[in-house]
Amino acid sequence: MSAHADSHDHHHEPGFLRKYVFSTDHKWIGIQYGVTAGIFLLFGFYLMMVMRWSIAFPHEPLPEWMSWMFTDTWKSRWLQDGKVTGETYNMFGAMHGTIMVFLGVVPLGFGAFGNYVTPLQIGAPDMAFPKLNMMSYWIYLAGGLVMCCSFFLESGAAKSGWTNYSPLAGIADGQVVNQWLAGQTQWLLGLVLLITSSLLGSVNFITTIINLRARGLTWMRMPFFVWAMLVTGFLLLLAFPPLEAAGIMQLMDRVSGSSFFMPSGLVTKAEGLLEISGGGSPLLYQHLFWFLGHPEVYVLLLPAIACVAEIIPANTRKPLWGYKSMVYGVLVLGFLSFIVWAHHMYMTGMGPAVSTWFQTTTVLISVPSVILLTSLIISLWQGSIRFTPAMIWACAFLPMFGIGGLTGLPLAFNLVGLHLHDTYYVIGHFHYVVAPGILFGLFAGVYHWYPKITGRHLSNFLAHLHFWPSLVCMNLIFFPMLTQGMSGFHRRWYNGGDAYLAKVPDSPNIFGSTVAEHIDLNILMSYAAWCMALAQLPFLINLVISKFVGKKVTSDNPWNATTLEWATPTPPGHGNFLTEPVVYRGPYEYSRPDHDEDYLPQWIEPKRTSPKPDEKPAESPAH
Amino acid sequence: MEIPYVVTPRKDTGLFNSKIAIWLFLASEVMLFGGLFSGYVFLRIGADYPWPERTLPVLPGLLNTFILIASSVTVVFAWASLKLRKWVQFQIFMAITVICALVFMGFKSLEYYVKFHHQAARLVDYTMVEGHIDHEKEAGHGEGHDEHDASLVTDAKGEEIEMNVQRFQPETISFDLLRVYEPWVEDMLAEASAAGASITLADEINLNREGESDSAKQFAAGEALSLELLKKIAKAQTSNHAFNQSQRTEYLREAWDLKWDDVKSNHLLGEAAFVAAFPAGSELEPAERAKAFKRWKAGMRANFATDVTIESVKVSGGEAVPVLLDGKKFAEIERPEATAAVFKVAPGAEPLNLRFKNHDVLTDYRDGLTSISLRDGTTLAGKQGNSEMVYHYVDGIDFQYLVMQAEKKGIEPLVAIENSWIIKNNPEIAEIWEMHQQGVRLLADELSKDGREPTHKDRYRMGWQEIAYYTRLIDEGKGVEDVEIDPSAKTPPREKMVMTEQFMGPDYSRHHFPHLAIPRAEVAMDSKFTPKWNTYYAIYFTVTGLHGLHVIGGAIVLGYYLLFGRKMYLSNPEWLANRVEVGGLFWHFVDLVWIFAFPIFYLM
Repeated sequence: MSAHADSHDHHHEPGFLRKYVFSTDHKWIGIQYGVTAGIFLLFGFYLMMVMRWSIAFPHEPLPEWMSWMFTDTWKSRWLQDGKVTGETYNMFGAMHGTIMVFLGVVPLGFGAFGNYVTPLQIGAPDMAFPKLNMMSYWIYLAGGLVMCCSFFLESGAAKSGWTNYSPLAGIADGQVVNQWLAGQTQWLLGLVLLITSSLLGSVNFITTIINLRARGLTWMRMPFFVWAMLVTGFLLLLAFPPLEAAGIMQLMDRVSGSSFFMPSGLVTKAEGLLEISGGGSPLLYQHLFWFLGHPEVYVLLLPAIACVAEIIPANTRKPLWGYKSMVYGVLVLGFLSFIVWAHHMYMTGMGPAVSTWFQTTTVLISVPSVILLTSLIISLWQGSIRFTPAMIWACAFLPMFGIGGLTGLPLAFNLVGLHLHDTYYVIGHFHYVVAPGILFGLFAGVYHWYPKITGRHLSNFLAHLHFWPSLVCMNLIFFPMLTQGMSGFHRRWYNGGDAYLAKVPDSPNIFGSTVAEHIDLNILMSYAAWCMALAQLPFLINLVISKFVGKKVTSDNPWNATTLEWATPTPPGHGNFLTEPVVYRGPYEYSRPDHDEDYLPQWIEPKRTSPKPDEKPAESPAH
Repeated sequence: MEIPYVVTPRKDTGLFNSKIAIWLFLASEVMLFGGLFSGYVFLRIGADYPWPERTLPVLPGLLNTFILIASSVTVVFAWASLKLRKWVQFQIFMAITVICALVFMGFKSLEYYVKFHHQAARLVDYTMVEGHIDHEKEAGHGEGHDEHDASLVTDAKGEEIEMNVQRFQPETISFDLLRVYEPWVEDMLAEASAAGASITLADEINLNREGESDSAKQFAAGEALSLELLKKIAKAQTSNHAFNQSQRTEYLREAWDLKWDDVKSNHLLGEAAFVAAFPAGSELEPAERAKAFKRWKAGMRANFATDVTIESVKVSGGEAVPVLLDGKKFAEIERPEATAAVFKVAPGAEPLNLRFKNHDVLTDYRDGLTSISLRDGTTLAGKQGNSEMVYHYVDGIDFQYLVMQAEKKGIEPLVAIENSWIIKNNPEIAEIWEMHQQGVRLLADELSKDGREPTHKDRYRMGWQEIAYYTRLIDEGKGVEDVEIDPSAKTPPREKMVMTEQFMGPDYSRHHFPHLAIPRAEVAMDSKFTPKWNTYYAIYFTVTGLHGLHVIGGAIVLGYYLLFGRKMYLSNPEWLANRVEVGGLFWHFVDLVWIFAFPIFYLM
């Protein structure tokens, strides 16, 4: 009976499926994104732990605690006497990168935080297209599953690096007769799905931000978070399609035998002279890939910076320093990120003129990045800082991301690229940006908005138990990489350099001696990585048990913050706001001299008369 | 909860939600097609072969251009009709739009169909031969010029056999148990049963360890090939391999435990051991010494790897300690393994002649091969069968690539062509080529009046119209001196094209084309006119294919408004008008893509 009745009753509670699985509520979709991305992040982390075993102890069998979940048959296929083989390492490496970037960090930053927070901060009842929003999530999940399921194919998953360069990626898995069932092909199919998903997502985000802002929320009253999401949306919208084009072309190369990226006269060990027309351009693939690849870095970064930019004012009790320059900075950053891509390709022989151009733009883009970071650092100055868990993560983000950014400067120059290209220095650099940088920012976001999402506080003790070991381990993992990289360690050695080692102290093999001097760091980094996994346990425990036993929040605005998401009930219901919110002022009105309390939320109606010192502050309309 | 600005525009932006969304979506579509078009530019600039210029028939493309432009106009009329609340008028214009889309796709599929059935081959000397491939016929029907010969031979699946396969008469077939591709085994079995041949296991495979006698792991010699048999062997092999590997892992762990115990208890990585092993170290500066110590330690660790095997471990003092688990060495529990299963072929009355597509054979072809391997790891030993590639009609011969290669080597183009395999081995084509030379001379004379000269394409490519013209002269008993040129056409002498030929290619009942059999060793690469043939066709099919998908998608959406829009029209006509507007914007974009694609692929 109810199915029929439901369709006539718009206020009826939706069923379990509608509410928790196929929900169109941006908040629930945000949580779905967050949980799914979290699982993918853990999986990507696991792949890395296995790789780190191979790097540190290439001759010893993978210990049981990392391999117990596999059957003997699977292990006999992918391990050699229990040791990680080069092929398996390549597969894990390619999938680690892919999963972390496309399935982990982007969905967490843009999908989860963007979905949950953006409509709340602009005072919208939901996204502009709720059903499209749901579709984005499910397409993302399908793409992720297609990619990850390929581990169980006969060919295994993709194995040509997360960048999937042709012609290597074009010939990998060539032995598989039905190409649709090759891991390399599945990677491309998954990628096309992921691009479709983020395309739908970005259209939705931008439309929402342009058209669904609350009354009074003019452009320059928008929180920085929303600006960052707007720019991220545009990056995804415009940078992903060329990769989709590249994906389609590579797919054609695989399944229709075309030669988009295959040069003439290609010979492989397995096939001899390949049965293809040739005449294609491997360089074209790299251009198309990095046309996405570089903006993608900012797609990863901006949501993290966005979280930090919300947390710092709320916990220093003073306005964000240089809000306007940050806004213009992020717009310029977005634009410049489209014209720096070929700095990933200095070694391809594009020619010095092209390299010089991209070197120039790359150095230019450091200006807006530094503006953002500097504004955040100056925002701390003379604040009365509350070291909430969110704030300690945000504070750690600043130097960590700083190291990531600064180590990138030398890489901008093509001369230095000659030496550092494809070494662990590059790995160290971008992991400093992504892991202790971006992930710390996103952790900060989780700690900041958790009370709004669940109505309960996270445990402070567990938060510290999460933070300090993570901070130490992160640096122990990634700092040695910079040292190793400068001495020439290549990023794709599956045995950590063992093959190049000079085995006697006074060997004339100079490179082998250099390797020998730094190879022990592998062991340190690997142990740090495994400890890093342990350090995440308090976080996972905290997330789960605080939902049930955490201290209940007593106010809808537990951090006494100023932006609109804190005007909603806790947790916000379907439709978000009880009354239509109206915005009267900018986003970071903390410690106004003319106001009693140290914060003046955007939604508080200004008093008609000039405020008197003894007057009671207005109640939040949300109560 | 209701989302605002779904129907009415927001005041300050002046836009309703879906209008913003469609413009954003189109922006990303511009980037997608932009990526593909820049791919086109990159490929064309970087092409190391003669890029096929103006190679597609213009008429179908041109018609399609007008059809799409017309539909873009009618979709606007449809939208305007809705705005004026004229439902019937909306239906008419929308119906025309959708019909235009269908006609467009009709022409498109015709174009694709013709290409998918047109064969090309690049010979080893870079001659390109185009035409239609012959099919196998039963004995006594030999070479006919009728394509629909009633006596075509079909394979086990009932498909006609194109004479573009590699044949092999195997004596033994060895299957890779883990990778074998089942449909191929089924094909082989079907062919074998049709030829009365039997394929049986060559030698016994016994995957039991000594003393065991599990019948599921024992396969007698002479057992007939079947998928079940292969699966059974593979299953036994997989289980033995998994067992061996898991045991090897245990033994290796044990071995390393022994080694590390030894290292720790004897301080093999300690200071003292360093001094003992490297006395020179004590004279070094502290910083240098620290580095030397690190180097020594790394070297020691690396050397441990050679000390440790699953059989034994070398410990300090140099002695080798055997690795035992439960008192046994690994060799005592190891199970036998077989990675391949070898089968023997006993032919029936005639030899078993298996056919393989070129793509499926990994071994580079050369005459006299006694074994070939297939993509799935199957290896066949035996002798080659007839692998000629036979053209029923040759309707295009292109020497441009050959000339390009010859010029690189400093060889005179005409000399290179005279020495090409095709001119030397096919008198009919040699005669056609000679007449074409005359045609080019006439054309050169004609063009020189305007101070121009024939293009590379004029000189070195004979398309179907040229070939048909020369074969007609030959059939009429005429010679080189009878070649005539149409002074107004500015092309080499050629046969006139009728309207249907614009769409379908040459009408084979009207013209005569040469027949050609090419030994497989002369064929470097062959393909239908598909993305595989060259990067031009690759980008052409990708862009037009993707564009076609957009046309279909757009037509479905517009068709939906046409057929199911009535309800919304009655309840909220403005909303429907918004939707049609958005759909129309998309439709204009689809049109725009075609307006770029048409000149790029058809005219340039």
